[in-house]
Amino acid sequence: MMNKVNPLAVMSTEKATGWKLFWKTVLARAYPRVMGQQREKSWIFFDIFLPMLAVSAYVFVYRAIHAPEEYIGFVVVGGAMTAFWMNIMWSMSMQLYWEKEQGNLALYIMAPNSMMAILLGMALGGMLATFLRAIAIIVLGSLLFHVQYSIGNFFQLLGVFFAAMTALYGLGMITASLFLLLSREADHLVQLAQEPVYLVSGFYFPIRSFNFWIAAAASIIPLTLGLDAMRQLVFPSGALLGFLNVNVELSILLILCVVFLFGARTLLGYMERLAIREGRLTESRR
Amino acid sequence: MVKQRTTLLNLAVETENLGRIYKIHGNAKEKNIRKELIALQDVNLQVRQGELFGLLGPNGAGKTTLIKILTTLLAPNSGRARVAGFDVAKEPGKVRPLINMVSGGESSGYGLLTVRENLWMFSQFYGLPSKQSYERIDALLKMVGLEDRIHTKSSDLSTGLRQKMNIVRGFLTDPQVLFLDEPTLGLDVGASRDVRNLIRSWLNQDQTRTLLLTTHYMVEADELCDRVAIINHGRVLAFDTPSALKQSLQREPLFEIKVSSMNGLNVSALERLPGVRKATSQSVDGLTALNFSVQEEAALAGIINRLTESNIKIMWLNKHEPTLEDVFVNLVGRSMDEIETEESDDEQSESTSRDVD
Amino acid sequence: MNYAEYFRSFKTATWLGWQIESNWTRPFLFAIYSIIKPLAGAAILVVMYSVITQGNFNTPIFPYLYYGNAFYQYVAAIMTGISWSVIDDREHYKTLKYMYIAPINIPAYWIGRGMARFLTGSVSVLITIAFGVLFLHVPLNLATVNWPLFIVALVVGISMLAMMGLILASITLLIAHHFFLIGEAVASALFLLSGAIFPLDVLPAWLRPVGFIVPITYWLELMRRSLIGNVAQAFPTLSHFSNLQLLGILVGLTMIFSIASTFVFRFCDYRAREQSLIDRVTNY
Repeated sequence: MMNKVNPLAVMSTEKATGWKLFWKTVLARAYPRVMGQQREKSWIFFDIFLPMLAVSAYVFVYRAIHAPEEYIGFVVVGGAMTAFWMNIMWSMSMQLYWEKEQGNLALYIMAPNSMMAILLGMALGGMLATFLRAIAIIVLGSLLFHVQYSIGNFFQLLGVFFAAMTALYGLGMITASLFLLLSREADHLVQLAQEPVYLVSGFYFPIRSFNFWIAAAASIIPLTLGLDAMRQLVFPSGALLGFLNVNVELSILLILCVVFLFGARTLLGYMERLAIREGRLTESRR
Repeated sequence: MVKQRTTLLNLAVETENLGRIYKIHGNAKEKNIRKELIALQDVNLQVRQGELFGLLGPNGAGKTTLIKILTTLLAPNSGRARVAGFDVAKEPGKVRPLINMVSGGESSGYGLLTVRENLWMFSQFYGLPSKQSYERIDALLKMVGLEDRIHTKSSDLSTGLRQKMNIVRGFLTDPQVLFLDEPTLGLDVGASRDVRNLIRSWLNQDQTRTLLLTTHYMVEADELCDRVAIINHGRVLAFDTPSALKQSLQREPLFEIKVSSMNGLNVSALERLPGVRKATSQSVDGLTALNFSVQEEAALAGIINRLTESNIKIMWLNKHEPTLEDVFVNLVGRSMDEIETEESDDEQSESTSRDVD
Repeated sequence: MNYAEYFRSFKTATWLGWQIESNWTRPFLFAIYSIIKPLAGAAILVVMYSVITQGNFNTPIFPYLYYGNAFYQYVAAIMTGISWSVIDDREHYKTLKYMYIAPINIPAYWIGRGMARFLTGSVSVLITIAFGVLFLHVPLNLATVNWPLFIVALVVGISMLAMMGLILASITLLIAHHFFLIGEAVASALFLLSGAIFPLDVLPAWLRPVGFIVPITYWLELMRRSLIGNVAQAFPTLSHFSNLQLLGILVGLTMIFSIASTFVFRFCDYRAREQSLIDRVTNY
């Protein structure tokens, strides 16, 4: 088909700016991740089936020490939520570092878009796999281990989930901003963050097990209160093992949403300027 | 091709005493390795709107550092730079919608996406409407001869084809100022020619467009650029049109004449002819090459007469123009190749005493 | 087999792997990382156990799971170390193609690259055990440790893990960058099936046989028995096997995995060359 467009002529149509450019960027950056996962499906086995086995290991530990059955449910829900933590640490923060090495980061910074849009696009692009992983663990785990749920207020549950996710992704953008400055230590720091976060956030046990101040400090990680509130809302004995009242936890999560999103915007701008000043944006110091 | 671009008053790029120093990160063992590298020093440039400006220099001269500063990827330590009227350090958000950059040997993009998908994705970051974006992509790929690879995954492209894709990315967003950092690296002769044609056509379409090209291929700069700056060790050594730079070097015409044999005629006899300053000879491919430096071109007639009188057959005659390479050698004292060889040897001896990072 | 080439490849790769692993940060941060990471992993299990048993660490199951978890760090370290080097070389350093055209033994190269993680893994294991012994009263009497069994089992076990890592590295040649944690994912999955933190008897009957063909099961049991003897043998799963029988099974399975790794490598290597994947960069 003959193409009559003169690509060297000045463009007659306006380019998008503001929010329109923001969402175009989000969708465009999500695109490679979505298409990549469609074109090579090995992630289905490695990213869904294998984590299910890992979560099951913790279930059987509880069975081996004769824990009450609700703890099995805690592990299943906590295991599902690890998918989101992994998404922000690996698919967002660490991915940004790899973009730097690849040379794409320089092109992103140079374009008139927002880094928050790029990061959100990365996270959204990985969301399919993340959600599949979480749902697979919940469904399979619940079926295999006969987990009983008792959902009191579904909309409250949904509210807690979305508040936790929003705050979590805000935190992810903050950590990603730090990665603008990092070199090879980025990889190790992400790995270092994994187990301590799983520990203090109570992925596999209620954070009430810690003393108040440790649990309070751990609440800075949105998944801590998010998980605790969700467990209180879905398990019959959840409230007895909860840290704070669900409404209090939801309020704190909403505050964290605002703080982290604002913090992410500020820190991304600051880190970008710092990286530009120190010449770190285009270094490939491996 | 006659360069008919009107030079307008507005400056597309302007730098004032621009400087940049890099800190070199080493470890405790590297006590005698330099800790700082002066990449740019007191760089003063003005690039007019509508101009095709060349930045010429060997590897490590500071060209890429300058480009990074102008494209808001690196902040200067001293001085200032403005692109399209905006300060790159203080107003990067205003600069970015107006520029784009393509580097040689780039590996950007995503291997699992096709050429078209990669380009579309980048166009979205600049806010291009998708429909127009696809039309432009298709047309630009056709211009660079990549239309049959439009649905090929970029990981399956050769280095040269990938570079063509990157070049299309640069033009796709219709920037006002385009930075090309060694864009023909990895391209074959034909592809390089296509890119040069593309550059000329793009500039000719709109007088407000400006292109800043860095290269260490002198011929490319000579052929394309309205003006050229020669840079070495972070400093701009000279800054003018290619012809003015060449003329500054040579005031006297130079001629080379190849003859079959000298028939006993001595070169010193030729040197004594009116108007001849200097004459030398050397054997080249079985012929004798005579090089003359004359006071004026009219002296050539006397030389030819003397050779004819001696029954010397003239095989070939050429007027020698100085090249930008000659200008560079004159300014720096060594050729580009010699500098790069020396610096490569220096880097090798330094790197043996550094740890792998 | 060209032993000189094998050894040269292994030696150079070990040096390279150590260069990459050892100088990514200042020594202080490296030390913090080496201490916190293993202890945090162990702490999850310790807290889980403590919550249910109200802090009673005097039951046989506690040293069982503690030692199992401690030595299991080798599994993740070695499998990840070997398989990750394929991704790192191919996608980040872009040197895999140069390794392939060099006259080296590629499997030996990969195993060498994984050696650095074995060394850092050893530090993690030592720190975890030391912490357990000092602060959690995990039983350990150096005078009663069966050192010959410990050393032999450790060597055979590490070889076994290297073979498994090689299988994963071969598979990694064929997959895109988005699955960069294949080593950890597989190690996490085997956590369930290897009796690392609970006896295989806890698993459903239909799943237990899988545990019996995973060589890690026998390796961990041997490590426990060499350190804490009778305490480890308190569990019925493998109690009817003697140390020698367990060692024999471990050696046998290691040889089977060794043969399997050869075939898997050859297949994946062929497919990778056929599909031009050696120098593919897919990062997204």
